[in-house]
Amino acid sequence: MTDASLPSSSENRERVSLMAPDARTQKRKAAERRFRMYGIAGIATGIFFLIVLLVSIVSSGAGAFQQTFITVSVYLDPAKLDKNGNRNLEEISKVSTFGYTPLIQQALFDKVQENGIETPLEKSKDMKALISASAAAQIRDVVISNPDLIGETVDFRILASSRVDGYLKGRVQREDVARDKNIDAEHLDLVDALQPFGIIEKTFNMDFITGADASESRAESAGIGVAMIGSFFMMLVVLVLSLPIGVAASIYLEEFAPKNRWTDLIEVNIANLAAVPSIVFGILGLAVFIQFMHLPQSAPLVGGLVLTLMTLPTIIISTRASLKAVPPSIRDAALGVGASKMQSVFHHVLPLAAPGILTGTIIGLAQALGETAPLLLIGMVGFIASNAPDGIASGLLDPNSAMPAQIYEWAKRADPAFYERAWGGIIILLGFLISMNTIAVILRRRFERRW
Amino acid sequence: MKDMRILERDVDATAIKISARDVQVFYGDNHAIKDVNVEIQDKTVTAFIGPSGCGKSTFLRCLNRMNDTIDVCRVEGDISIDGEDIYDKRVDPVQLRAKVGMVFQKPNPFPKSIYDNVAYGPRIHGLAQSKADLDTIVEKSLRSAAIWDEVKDRLTAPGTGLSGGQQQRLCIARAIATQPEVLLMDEPCSALDPIATAQIEELIDELRQNYSVVIVTHSMQQAARVSQKTAFFHLGNLVEYGETGTIFTNPEDPRTESYITGRIG
Repeated sequence: MTDASLPSSSENRERVSLMAPDARTQKRKAAERRFRMYGIAGIATGIFFLIVLLVSIVSSGAGAFQQTFITVSVYLDPAKLDKNGNRNLEEISKVSTFGYTPLIQQALFDKVQENGIETPLEKSKDMKALISASAAAQIRDVVISNPDLIGETVDFRILASSRVDGYLKGRVQREDVARDKNIDAEHLDLVDALQPFGIIEKTFNMDFITGADASESRAESAGIGVAMIGSFFMMLVVLVLSLPIGVAASIYLEEFAPKNRWTDLIEVNIANLAAVPSIVFGILGLAVFIQFMHLPQSAPLVGGLVLTLMTLPTIIISTRASLKAVPPSIRDAALGVGASKMQSVFHHVLPLAAPGILTGTIIGLAQALGETAPLLLIGMVGFIASNAPDGIASGLLDPNSAMPAQIYEWAKRADPAFYERAWGGIIILLGFLISMNTIAVILRRRFERRW
Repeated sequence: MKDMRILERDVDATAIKISARDVQVFYGDNHAIKDVNVEIQDKTVTAFIGPSGCGKSTFLRCLNRMNDTIDVCRVEGDISIDGEDIYDKRVDPVQLRAKVGMVFQKPNPFPKSIYDNVAYGPRIHGLAQSKADLDTIVEKSLRSAAIWDEVKDRLTAPGTGLSGGQQQRLCIARAIATQPEVLLMDEPCSALDPIATAQIEELIDELRQNYSVVIVTHSMQQAARVSQKTAFFHLGNLVEYGETGTIFTNPEDPRTESYITGRIG
């Protein structure tokens, strides 16, 4: 060993005190400080926007979880509902909701009179603006399911109209009413007067979570429940198809396939597919599943198939990554005691990779759950106004909607009441996504690194 | 290790277990093993020594066809165990590996219980008829690997929770649970401390009574301590093969002598 070529360190070098950092060190330290500041600034910006987003979502959407109801005692007049007096269900069914509307208006009018509230509204018909159009249908359903109620006075909790609801939530202001044909200032006075008696009140609205969509004119009765079922069926299809296909494909590619030009090509293409815009998958689904295979439009089956195509690359990539992360020594150990390739994969490698595969699958599902664009192309925006179970009788093939598509639908509609519901839908969707991602994180934490 | 007088160590030469003729191994274009001829005896410890990258591990992995798992690897020549060519088309490597057990450089127990680690081989080969049978095999294997006393009270504990030396002995127990005839060891002590190494070496000496043991080692002292026969590999060639005593004291080839004395390697 000779080090004659190295400069002898001790002689030429100036002696520097350790107490005073030299210029170079100071520069390095400054650079480090700057870098830290950039990082903190980046994170702070991210957190700021996250808070803005959450606050705006919650403040705009919280209203959808509350709804204004009116409590009335409706006299189910036999003269109007059952003219022949024979309680024949068929004849009762012939009376449409228009037959019920006057009864409800009368009931509310009576209530106003009873409580001695003074109002310039002198006719029972003037109550129309306060009552939701779906109230009549609600009472009609009750009467048809129980015709014996006819002739009695029954207490009902009916939906208030969306204007009244908006007034109570601060969405409808008195200034706006001047130009509004649907409601007058007198109505709002009446609402104010009725509130202390508990006749009009705002309560938690379960129907928003469980209910079906409603027509443009009755935002107050629209719910996301049916779309939730549509999303559930789609996720079922996605899970059942993409997990086995994705895992089988990854195991083959990772453990069995020869490494050659073809597998390289496949690998590149899978990576590319993961980056393809989702609307392209929608067009593909439209062309293949609906136009070529003639599967029904708006069906969760088709939506699920399209989302499966979209989720597969995600699942394959994450599964391959977690298979790769299993140390090769485990494979050697299994082969060394005489396990076949298949046994070594299924007995040892796959169980170790399972948490990673599950995490990838859940994240893929969460991505699919929030996907909107491909669903619009295959018509997964069905308008289902009847509640479960009517609307989902045959599940996978019946037309349905999905949560994100439903939110998009609501956001498009004119009535600001629907806008509120769109935000409410986003809260529910986000709730699902956050819980799915939490499950993924918990699974990863719990089962990770067992070797 | 009763004696360190390697010159006088008796080699009770018995039947030939493994014989290799003109073995060539290629990794793609790289000619890794050239013309290796060797005859490994039954109930003997044979050590493969040589500098890094000389092909001793590669040759060891040919003996149970572990090289099959490497795509670019190609083996030519004949290797036979008990006169049967193991590269014959009719030979299933899975069956071969049950007969030729292997212990790896780094202890690699399965992330399962100690019991399951040992029971895995017998299970997949159907060696046990009943649970009691399996229990017997597991106990026997752990006893032969000299680890039974340390783990008998915690057979359900994970095998990965043991110390390095214990893990390696567990891997040896796992390898002998399938009742192999040959035991291949690829630098079994390189990841272990001297005390664990001594335990494993003692174990290897005991295993000799029932198995033909082939051990690859970096440590010449280890080869001298445990083996009866030694093969010296250099640059893919088998330079010299003979009784350990002769190789270490009176090598024929100058390259062997250089390596033994520390001039190359």
